[in-house]
Amino acid sequence: MRPFKYTRAAETAKAVEAISKNKNARFLAGGTNIIDLMKEDVARPDELVDINRLSFDQIKATSGGISLGALAKNTETANHPLVRQNLPLLSQAILAGASGQIRNMATNGGNLNQRTRCTYFYDTAMPCNKREPGTGCGAMEGINRMHAVFGWSEKCVAVHPSDMCVALAALDANVKVQGADGKTRSIAFADYHRLPGDSPELDNNLKHDDLITEIEIPKNNFAANSYYLKVRDRASYAFALVSVAAALDVSGGKIKDARIALGGVAHKPWRALEAEKFLKGKDATEANFKAAAEMEMKAAKPLEHNKFKVELGKRAVARALTMAMNGGKTA
Amino acid sequence: MNEEKFDLEDCGNPPDMATVESDVLTVDEEKLLDELGIFGESRRKFLGQVSTAGLSVLAMQLLAENEAFAASNGDVKTAAVKLENAVKVSMKVNGSAKSLDVDSRMTLLDALRERMDLTGSKKGCDHGQCGACTVIVDGQRVLSCLTLAATCEGADVTTIEGLATGEKLHPVQAAFIKHDGFQCGYCTPGQICSAVALMEEAKRGDASYVTENIQAKARSLNLSDDEIRERMSGNLCRCGAYPNILRAIKEVHTGKEQAQGWKFSESSETEVA
Amino acid sequence: MNMNPIGEAIDRIDGFLKVTGRANYAMDFPVENAAHAFLFKSETAAGKILKIDSKAAEESEGVIAVMTHLNAPKITPSRGLRGGAILQDADIEYFGENIGVVVAETFEQARNAANLITVQYEKAAAKVDFSKENSNGTVPRGREDMRRGKFEEAFESAEIKLDETYFTPIEHHQAMAPHATVAVWDGDDKLILYNESQIVNGVQGAVAATFGLKPENVRVITPHIGGGFGSKGGAWGHVVIAAMAAKLVKRPVKLALTRNMMINSVGLRQANIQRMRISATKDGKLTALSHETTTHCAINEEFVEPCGDVSEHMYDAPNSLVTYRVAPMNVIIPTYTRAPGKSTGSFALESAIDELAHKLKIDPVELRIKNEPEKDPATGKPWSSRSLVKCLRKGAAAFGWEKRKMEPRSTKEGDFLIGFGVGCGIYPARQRETSAVIKLKNDDGKVSATVELAASDLGTGTHTIIAQVAAETLGLPVSDIGVKIGDSALPPAAGSVGSVGASSFCNAVYEVCLKAMEQLQAKTNVEFIKAPTAAELMQAANLKDFQTRADAKPLEIADKYASHSFNANFAEVWVNESTGMARVKRFVSATGAGRILNPKTSRSQMIGGAIWGIGQALSEESVLDPRWGNFVTRSFADYHIPSNLDIGDMETIFIDEQDKFVNKLGIKGVGEVGIVGVAAAVVNAVFNATGKRIRSLPLTPDKFV
Repeated sequence: MRPFKYTRAAETAKAVEAISKNKNARFLAGGTNIIDLMKEDVARPDELVDINRLSFDQIKATSGGISLGALAKNTETANHPLVRQNLPLLSQAILAGASGQIRNMATNGGNLNQRTRCTYFYDTAMPCNKREPGTGCGAMEGINRMHAVFGWSEKCVAVHPSDMCVALAALDANVKVQGADGKTRSIAFADYHRLPGDSPELDNNLKHDDLITEIEIPKNNFAANSYYLKVRDRASYAFALVSVAAALDVSGGKIKDARIALGGVAHKPWRALEAEKFLKGKDATEANFKAAAEMEMKAAKPLEHNKFKVELGKRAVARALTMAMNGGKTA
Repeated sequence: MNEEKFDLEDCGNPPDMATVESDVLTVDEEKLLDELGIFGESRRKFLGQVSTAGLSVLAMQLLAENEAFAASNGDVKTAAVKLENAVKVSMKVNGSAKSLDVDSRMTLLDALRERMDLTGSKKGCDHGQCGACTVIVDGQRVLSCLTLAATCEGADVTTIEGLATGEKLHPVQAAFIKHDGFQCGYCTPGQICSAVALMEEAKRGDASYVTENIQAKARSLNLSDDEIRERMSGNLCRCGAYPNILRAIKEVHTGKEQAQGWKFSESSETEVA
Repeated sequence: MNMNPIGEAIDRIDGFLKVTGRANYAMDFPVENAAHAFLFKSETAAGKILKIDSKAAEESEGVIAVMTHLNAPKITPSRGLRGGAILQDADIEYFGENIGVVVAETFEQARNAANLITVQYEKAAAKVDFSKENSNGTVPRGREDMRRGKFEEAFESAEIKLDETYFTPIEHHQAMAPHATVAVWDGDDKLILYNESQIVNGVQGAVAATFGLKPENVRVITPHIGGGFGSKGGAWGHVVIAAMAAKLVKRPVKLALTRNMMINSVGLRQANIQRMRISATKDGKLTALSHETTTHCAINEEFVEPCGDVSEHMYDAPNSLVTYRVAPMNVIIPTYTRAPGKSTGSFALESAIDELAHKLKIDPVELRIKNEPEKDPATGKPWSSRSLVKCLRKGAAAFGWEKRKMEPRSTKEGDFLIGFGVGCGIYPARQRETSAVIKLKNDDGKVSATVELAASDLGTGTHTIIAQVAAETLGLPVSDIGVKIGDSALPPAAGSVGSVGASSFCNAVYEVCLKAMEQLQAKTNVEFIKAPTAAELMQAANLKDFQTRADAKPLEIADKYASHSFNANFAEVWVNESTGMARVKRFVSATGAGRILNPKTSRSQMIGGAIWGIGQALSEESVLDPRWGNFVTRSFADYHIPSNLDIGDMETIFIDEQDKFVNKLGIKGVGEVGIVGVAAAVVNAVFNATGKRIRSLPLTPDKFV
């Protein structure tokens, strides 16, 4: 870990000011990812601005839906009565990630900005365009079992590691951001994270001095039929091979609206728009779930070691939809 | 043939047995306890209620050696050298106020271990992937390896060293001994801190990924075996003590005695110690 | 007071230290004025170091020294060292080899400075792709082909044949405590190492030889070991580097590996390709059995784990062939890893037996019993004791094996396919030379004893079982027995390795206690009506202090017998048909391992071994990048040891076994056998559940797609 200046910010303006002044400064919230990356010498900020004392930590109902403070902890968010009752999909997704200890530390804003777990990104002895643009992608021709099957580029095949974000993608969340000018703007979740393209070093569309203040989730009718399914190499405390956030708005056996997002398959949470479109207006049957899954995974472009993700993705999508129809109860 | 050659010769040349004196110097345990000011019956009390096997001489020896090494006045050690990015931080650790200058890079784990002589919290991975460094900060279990000491201004930290009340072990500590919830013991401080905090989470009605109905209103929970397993999955144990850890936690959580299962083939009943 | 504590389920006597955070592991000793060291490692798998630029590191805050092959003290590597990598030359033999160390005032400073080092290499072609190198195998030293009868003839002419190949990947020990050494010099010729060591005297001897010191001038202190599983058996490079660095900076030095560094610093379990050929009569009598293993070792040093051992002793096959081929690779040398060879070998053998049973439509438990050998097939020696049939019968009854359906895919619950599987294990029982001293003390009629020997405790419960044996032999309560181990200054002892610990330590303790009793008896003319206790003898002889020593050796008669622990493992596995996630919901093991000294600590070892086996079966795999030889699985996030939720109910059964020949106390050891046969039981259950036979570990979800 490189030497850095530690700045404890007591108010938002000061925090933003500190960041604006220094291109190599970073915000410090829960720290569960950036401290790890700094120990690995992957992240090398020369200043950390501790924003944990700022006040964006409330979870509340708003006219449009539910607002999650960026600094509220993952544990608090997953267990908040508003979230458990109205957004059980989000609770499940958060609880599927990491461990109790980490969820007690990690903040909602920080969760959005987790960096990939790609081993070539983490290992400074390896080439990686995300860590060091221009050095090449170690995973493309290397060991890519954990990597993307959608939306990757020749520059980067990494996947986004978050579970929470998969649910947020399915729920059409908005990310509220305060810029250096003090103005607040809203970014639709689908536009928040990026595909790697030619600039894999950028995970999202935030500017250097943007501060996430809250995440808004619009009202929906998915609470009765949603499920977050995570497929991983061990039963708990492991990143996803494939995960699925599935939510259905069903009336009289007919699907009024469907939301499906996949994790572990792309550089950002992957919305299964084809499958969603197919399901709208159809009967909520397993046959239709399978057909929708099949349709979505057709576009997948697997790499050498992750071909299994195509078939696994199909099964996982169908299974998650079935579980959602069963009221989202765990098996 | 192919008898494994897993013996002394293969791993280095052991000293000739004859050259090793049988009368080796050892620490005088009695003297150490005397120096610590622990006398007579209070020795037994000091170590009391720690083992159904009773107090062993070994226990005294090991404890005496450990205690003799520990800083006696509870003060923090000053940094060995002047630090480039020093941060002054004050926190409460196991009930006592600590104030120290830390390198901005220093984690809470290293601050506890290197500067406060609290080596109970362990560094198993230093990257938030094993749970051996788990401590309780402001009532929540967290990973001290991913917590910068500098961020702990005003924090209330409880480590494994702070769980016992005076001479009495915390019920989770006692249950871990009874159910043999460890072998090597390295993950144990983290497991125990995690388990202690877990009890509070259950009382609050916090959910987990295996909670059957996430929408149900939070209320004090009677955790199923899988609920305990999932909630303890952030604490890895390579010796594989998980089933015993489960029993220890379940016993404290439910207040009901859990069987300790092993059988001998000639007896039909599970032996309960 | 319990006069017979041997065999009692007493709590660990060191338990309270461990639950209060007071047990000291290597990095916990408060050594004054210690500097902190941080290694740096090669970023190529083969070639030479051309240039190391350490200027920035040396100028970095707090740095005391940077040590590389250019300025490291010249030493004479002893053959007891493992894996080289002690900074003596510019050659690189594997990716991640130690090439230098930074010593600084603080850990943060040392770690930062290590990142500032840049190295130029002359790279050479590296052999790092086992799928290519495995065809270059040669016969390892001392492991010539072993033939009994006429394998080829018998196999070719058989009615029923099986010829399958099984693969196990590289695995890592991943002890929870990263390897660490605190080195403290006392002058130029005395060295103290706080170093977790399974073989206390082994590390002492190797380091002494390396530095040209008298063995008694190297003191290794290791009261507790944070897991080892074979990886803390020898002295690896970092142990020597810590001592060299301490010499260089003339201060105590603390050096711990990071979790990532452990992947190429302290050995590994090698990948194995095992071809199994088995033939049998239609009613299930084996006629021929071959077990042919191809594996890899380091580029200049050989190590082979004996996978074929299991096939030599387990079943009665009149014609047999066991072979090994080993290919050198630019990868760190493999080393002893929990039940070396037996765990991986049993996966192949016990999978193949299950496949044969399926082919023959014979219950796999019955097929095994049908082929139970009367004496050891490999040596012709009689068994000192063998309870495999009992293990199978008792285990099957406890598990509810009779409910198993022979046809796969017969049991389904919701999205889960459920299957039962069995797999057996074997591990040799041996005793090694060990000395022990007993010190008795009479404090105004209160007699206590301390036993001293350079044994070690990996968490197996060594402290406790030694106290039990001493207490029973001396007639004292366990609470009055002190146990001093984990210090090379104590009488020399065997290592906690290869399941020799309990038998070696406890027989030595037993002998020294018996000797004390005899010698005390001789010092008094009081006649006792019933056998006196050590306390009564001390009183009668009017002694305040007494001590004696014994040097225990294996029984001569033990050589005339084949001695092994055996077990039978039963697993119930649930496989989610949609996700391919498999979970062992229920597990029963029945073990015949001679005398069980303490069922509580023994159970812990048995379930611990089984959980290792479950990890081996379902999730553990170390993966090399075949282009560069780096491991892509460097952390606990990539290398998945089981978590708590991966493990279901575990039941442990010990077969009451009295072995009169193996050693005086009839101890066979339980540390290793617990893992043997487990992976096969799980994989066989997966077959029974899904109808899918997977011959390549681990069974991660992708294997079911």
